[in-house]
Amino acid sequence: MSEHIIVGMSGGVDSAVSALLLKEQGFDVECIFMKNWEEDSEYCTSEQDYKDALLVCDELGLPLKTVNFCNEYKEKVFDYFLKEYAAGRTPNPDTLCNKEIKFKSFLNYALELGASRIATGHYARLDQQNSSVLLRKGNDGNKDQSYFLFMLNQYQLEKTIFPIGEMTKNDVRTLAKEKGLPNHDRKDSTGVCFIGERDFTEFLHQYFKPNPGEMITVDGKIVGRHNGLMFYTLGQRQGLGIGGGHGKKEAPWFVADKNIKDNILIIAQGHDHPDLFHSQLSVENVHWISDESPSTKILNAKIRYRQKDQSCSIEISNDALTVAFKNPQFAVTPGQAVVFYDGDICLGGGTIVNRN
Amino acid sequence: MYYFDHSATTPLHPKVKELMSEVGELHFGNPSSVHASGQKAKTLIETARGQMAKAIGCNSNEVVFTGGGTEANNLVLWNLIHQMKKHVITSVIEHPAVLNVLDNLGEFGVTYTAVGVDETGMVNPNDVQNAITEKTGLITIMLANNEMGTIQPIADIVAIAKKQSIILHTDAVQSIGKIPVNAKELGVDCMSFSAHKFYGPKGVGALFVSKGLKLKPLIIGGNQERRMRAGTENTSGIAGLGLAAELAANNIHKTQTHLNELADAFKSQITYICPNAIFNGHPEKQLPGLINVSFPGFRNDLLMIHLDRHGIAVSSGSACSSGDIKPSRILSEMGIKDDINNSTLRISFGYGNTLKDVEYLTRCIKSTLERIRSAA
Repeated sequence: MSEHIIVGMSGGVDSAVSALLLKEQGFDVECIFMKNWEEDSEYCTSEQDYKDALLVCDELGLPLKTVNFCNEYKEKVFDYFLKEYAAGRTPNPDTLCNKEIKFKSFLNYALELGASRIATGHYARLDQQNSSVLLRKGNDGNKDQSYFLFMLNQYQLEKTIFPIGEMTKNDVRTLAKEKGLPNHDRKDSTGVCFIGERDFTEFLHQYFKPNPGEMITVDGKIVGRHNGLMFYTLGQRQGLGIGGGHGKKEAPWFVADKNIKDNILIIAQGHDHPDLFHSQLSVENVHWISDESPSTKILNAKIRYRQKDQSCSIEISNDALTVAFKNPQFAVTPGQAVVFYDGDICLGGGTIVNRN
Repeated sequence: MYYFDHSATTPLHPKVKELMSEVGELHFGNPSSVHASGQKAKTLIETARGQMAKAIGCNSNEVVFTGGGTEANNLVLWNLIHQMKKHVITSVIEHPAVLNVLDNLGEFGVTYTAVGVDETGMVNPNDVQNAITEKTGLITIMLANNEMGTIQPIADIVAIAKKQSIILHTDAVQSIGKIPVNAKELGVDCMSFSAHKFYGPKGVGALFVSKGLKLKPLIIGGNQERRMRAGTENTSGIAGLGLAAELAANNIHKTQTHLNELADAFKSQITYICPNAIFNGHPEKQLPGLINVSFPGFRNDLLMIHLDRHGIAVSSGSACSSGDIKPSRILSEMGIKDDINNSTLRISFGYGNTLKDVEYLTRCIKSTLERIRSAA
């Protein structure tokens, strides 16, 4: 009997092609649609996503089921997301969703259903070595999603297949079209799943009351008011309400820092303003995919998804990890993930807590 | 496929299917046309009306055909906006085709009180009595619930309504074909039906509207259905409904015996396999062949996937538009805790099921419980 794989089906073309490839390779494939967020408005696309998934599975002749992880998502991901925002940081729910939901709740569910492994449509590759599994970047440099997977452990990776990790997005779409998959030209999803297409600040306003305070320049000049620190992200340009003056060609302003204690938003003028750049950062919740910290301390890192690799050195003492970048980094954002690479191997990472 | 989800929908009865294809092929004339083809179509519709009337114990001119049970409910409820008395008494276990309509009628000044149920899912007529205000114009309480099958004390509620001259509507969508449904004996003013729940086609329903009660149409156009429902009639669908109703009524005692036999066999086998299984609903006042059973400690979505692999169709809670399963609102209203709620399956037998099917079902449930237990 062939190996039983359960594919996490999102309705998108990546998971559809993943299922297609596994089926063609002779696996016993079953698909499951994960519902992690209750539809509360017209913004949530999960109903349409499910219909797309149904059409794909019908075309592929594969069974499709739905599982609801809304409670788990709320407890493990969303509550953390809100807590971080309330503390003035900018969390990354997708990395946590992978760790807690897709590669934990869903994985366990699939194993309970008798599958030996799960598959997802992530652009990343797994490389089984003698004693461990390496997580490598996806071959499509533009789409590589290893950044979002850095919190996974050996067990999770051993139980996973990324069927499209070798492919480019273009290859995936071409194959989907060739095979007549109805979602081959569906547009890529963007942003955080539960926010969907809506305005991010508007979404946050559902959960946080405005908490206005002063907006000052890095030189200490009061230039206006802000609505509440949680509504601003470091490096943010739009929405400060203090654009160029009358007829003057003034350089734009950016969020440089948040003074949580005094509820002050600190801004700097011009994209190249030195206060927007930092070379060092400290990291918490450090996780290494291999379970061991790397032997070499000169590495590459990304502090945001799709950023080019940045050369850095790391220093580990007890639980603390500090990173020194070769080049200063724009808008180093507490709450976001820093992810380390050795060539195309994703080593792990952690949560940015401080920078200087 | 082993189909045990007849409360969700039923397959077409072969005789109904035969009649519908014949009507669709040969008698396609517009029932409003005066030529022979139109007359034949009109005759078919009136035959169906007679069959339906006989099946539910009313006169032919008290039957209005609609586009389904939901539309039948809507037709009654939207008439509230023309009434002076805009307060409604309903129950917490009604179908969304009642409760969501009432919510939407709020902006037209309609208010409602939803009375609760006891742990067997039964409405207490005293609660209805106590909820009556001088503004109460309608009581709408279902004849039997679709999830756990508890048959409601409609006759007692009718007596209360009659005393105060309040109109009484009952949603009998789940009941016809499973228990005798007689409009005159029940004494209700309006009653909703849906053909696909009794081996008729989807997209056709009927509303019993007691003589003397005139409803304004929801769908306005030509003069069909005594101006209570405009639009060229769905001849084959209505003919199918009529025959299905006749078959349901004629075979009611045979069907009941058969369904009870299947349910009893299922219950005793399940009690043997899983002694801590809980049967929800009322011990006696229960639709035959509908079983709502909880398997404590087992997630119902997992059970359903395993059973589906064996070709078994059962149901659980209420499936939503994304295909996922939520804790049943109905069971929550009965005071059933979420963990038990989430371990509940609804099995609804039909006339096509056999004792052998039941054995297959219980055997698969047994192996599924064992598999899940060993994987945990």
